[in-house]
Amino acid sequence: MATRSISSRIGAVLAAPVIWLARLLNLPLKWWQGMTGTGGMAAFFLAPNMAIFGIFVLLPLVINFAYSMTSGQALFLSDRSYVGGEQYARLMDCGNYLDPTTCREDLFWIALRNTALFVVVQVSMMTVVAMITALILNREIRGRGFWRAVFFFPVLLSPVVVGLIWRWILQREGLLNFILYNVGLEPHVWLTDRFYSFVATVGVSVWAHMGFYTLILLAGLQAIPRDLYEAAEMDGTRAGRVFWRITLPLLMPNLLVVIVLALIRAVQIFDEAYVLTGGGPGTSTLYLTQYIYEVGFASLLRNPGLAAAASIIMGLILVVLTLIQLGLGRRNEKAGERK
Amino acid sequence: MGQITLSDIQRAYGNVKVLHDINLDIADGEFVVLVGPSGCGKSTLLRLLSGLDKPTAGRIEIDGKDVTQVSAADRGLAMVFQSYALYPHMSVRQNLAFGLENIQMPKAEIAERITEAARMLEITDYLDRRPGQLSGGQKQRVAIGRAVVRNPTAFLLDEPLSNLDAELRISTRAEISALHDRLKTTMIYVTHDQVEAMTLADRIVVMRAGRIEQVGRPLDLYNTPANLFVAGFIGAPRMNLLPVKIAEAGPQSVRVEGAGGLSIMVAADGSALQPGTDATLGIRPHDIRTGTGGDGSFTATVDLMEALGPETVAHATTDDGQKILAVLNGQDTTKAGDGISFAFDAGRTHLFDAEGQRLPPPRT
Ligand SMILES: Nc1ncnc2c1ncn2[C@@H]1O[C@H](COP(=O)(O)OP(=O)(O)OP(=O)(O)O)[C@@H](O)[C@H]1O
Ligand SMILES: [Mg+2]
Repeated sequence: MATRSISSRIGAVLAAPVIWLARLLNLPLKWWQGMTGTGGMAAFFLAPNMAIFGIFVLLPLVINFAYSMTSGQALFLSDRSYVGGEQYARLMDCGNYLDPTTCREDLFWIALRNTALFVVVQVSMMTVVAMITALILNREIRGRGFWRAVFFFPVLLSPVVVGLIWRWILQREGLLNFILYNVGLEPHVWLTDRFYSFVATVGVSVWAHMGFYTLILLAGLQAIPRDLYEAAEMDGTRAGRVFWRITLPLLMPNLLVVIVLALIRAVQIFDEAYVLTGGGPGTSTLYLTQYIYEVGFASLLRNPGLAAAASIIMGLILVVLTLIQLGLGRRNEKAGERK
Repeated sequence: MGQITLSDIQRAYGNVKVLHDINLDIADGEFVVLVGPSGCGKSTLLRLLSGLDKPTAGRIEIDGKDVTQVSAADRGLAMVFQSYALYPHMSVRQNLAFGLENIQMPKAEIAERITEAARMLEITDYLDRRPGQLSGGQKQRVAIGRAVVRNPTAFLLDEPLSNLDAELRISTRAEISALHDRLKTTMIYVTHDQVEAMTLADRIVVMRAGRIEQVGRPLDLYNTPANLFVAGFIGAPRMNLLPVKIAEAGPQSVRVEGAGGLSIMVAADGSALQPGTDATLGIRPHDIRTGTGGDGSFTATVDLMEALGPETVAHATTDDGQKILAVLNGQDTTKAGDGISFAFDAGRTHLFDAEGQRLPPPRT
């Protein structure tokens, strides 16, 4: 009783300045609302957020679009000359769309092809690996909380750190070769091998982001009522059939979210891969974002207009994927309502 | 066949024992109801039977075969879950078919069984709906249907009616009873509602804190509860339990005395009792009437009279502060605060010793 009254007194003391401040604010806000009406108030509170969004997202988007219609190496828009759709035409100028060497901007098409391959391989691998991890972590294993943290940990790392860690492991005098050498196996120069460097970018990005998707799937798995599994057990259902007929269909909403989010992020692959392989060897791990970065900023003959055009195309791909995701989200909501 | 024997079943979670030495014989075709307060281990016992959970010690036999280590699927039992546990992404038809597909039953036979069960349970009209599109009562039927199509050796039902509203509960109760009459399959039914137990059971198993307190036919439990717990648990409204002192004790009869001038001779074997020790006299509210003209009587003060028309429920307090409930025939004009005299017959009383056990019948 006594402790309670003391703590409530402390609470009152702490709350006093807040209440005082709220009263102070109340007056001008009341006056403001009288002037603008409730709708105006909403606009007032939204304004800071809208300003930030406008300045840092919307405006750059518009400027980027404007850049994609200009040519030259000049940095400021006022110094650049308007060329209309020429940059887009240049990107699309191909003898045969399936053969990048026939294209004027062959690197763009190589990057596009690499990215497409990366997206397909990485997303399927991510989905399967995250799924298996989630299924294992959902069991009654010892130290479950610890393992969950372990698998989530890489998500917290900066992509550059991830890239560096794996470069130390995979480079010529790296950890992996050291281990291989010591157990008597043939070391290999992983990151200058066309095939292995691609595999490395896929594997490392899966490793780095898997925890996030595992978490989404784990949440979905835990939302499946236990007694459904018990009913299936009473029904004499074999483990494989339980997975395909019960777990997977009930996990589908989460799985779709995972696939689409992974798709969107895979299309944007840059940091880990850039730090790990720098796009090499040759162009074998050159992905779209790196192409844009190099054309726009890093190459000697930089061409901001072309880079802007390429990023608009990439943006369109992402918009399509995002729309799919929003559509799925809405469908899930409806399904949720039906339950 | 569906004859089940439980021998010395124990179940512990870590150091906590939730079932202690359960012994129970269930005959083929019997409707057995497990009843008891929340947390007494009813569901745990049912899950041990089903095979979803395994006992720490003891033996389970079905039709004479030891199934203690046999998996749930191979015991040939079907379970109806409290939450129904229907597969939400499958139609009612698929829900019913799922278990049969698992054992590779021919499609034609599956269809036949579903049609049959659907007709019996009147769910034919929504075979193609999803569980989410059904009412609680309909889901309940589907859950029972899923068990019925399996043609099990016994049904296990864990509080199947607890999610239904009062009216639906009564009608579904009658349907389950009819279903049992028709299928003649062993049913083991868990509930904490003693009215459900009384109306459905061939035999009731009263449990408390992981132990079986008494097993018997519903009216046997009502008429001769073996101990204070069963006396208080079976029967509504609850039996009045009056603290009394043993005045005389013999092998044929025991005389007890209590507050309000209570003194009565009860036919029981009291040879193990010492005069002056404590005991408890149980009288059901329906066995009390007003007046002094019974084998025994006592006085009390009325707290509240509830006139229901055909009967009057009297709430009263004895001199020593004991609350009494009496259901009096007809209408009574006694007012709150008035003194009242209650009478009852020795044959309708229940005498329990200091340990709460019913005294044995008089020696012959
Ligand atoms: N997995 C578990 N781990 C630890 N204790 C458990 C577990 N399952 C049940 N118990 C305990 O076992 C006891 C019996 O539980 P049970 O579910 O069988 O009760 P019940 O009689 O079915 O109760 P209710 O009427 O509330 O359903 C309870 O005290 C419960 O806390
Ligand atoms: Mg229970």
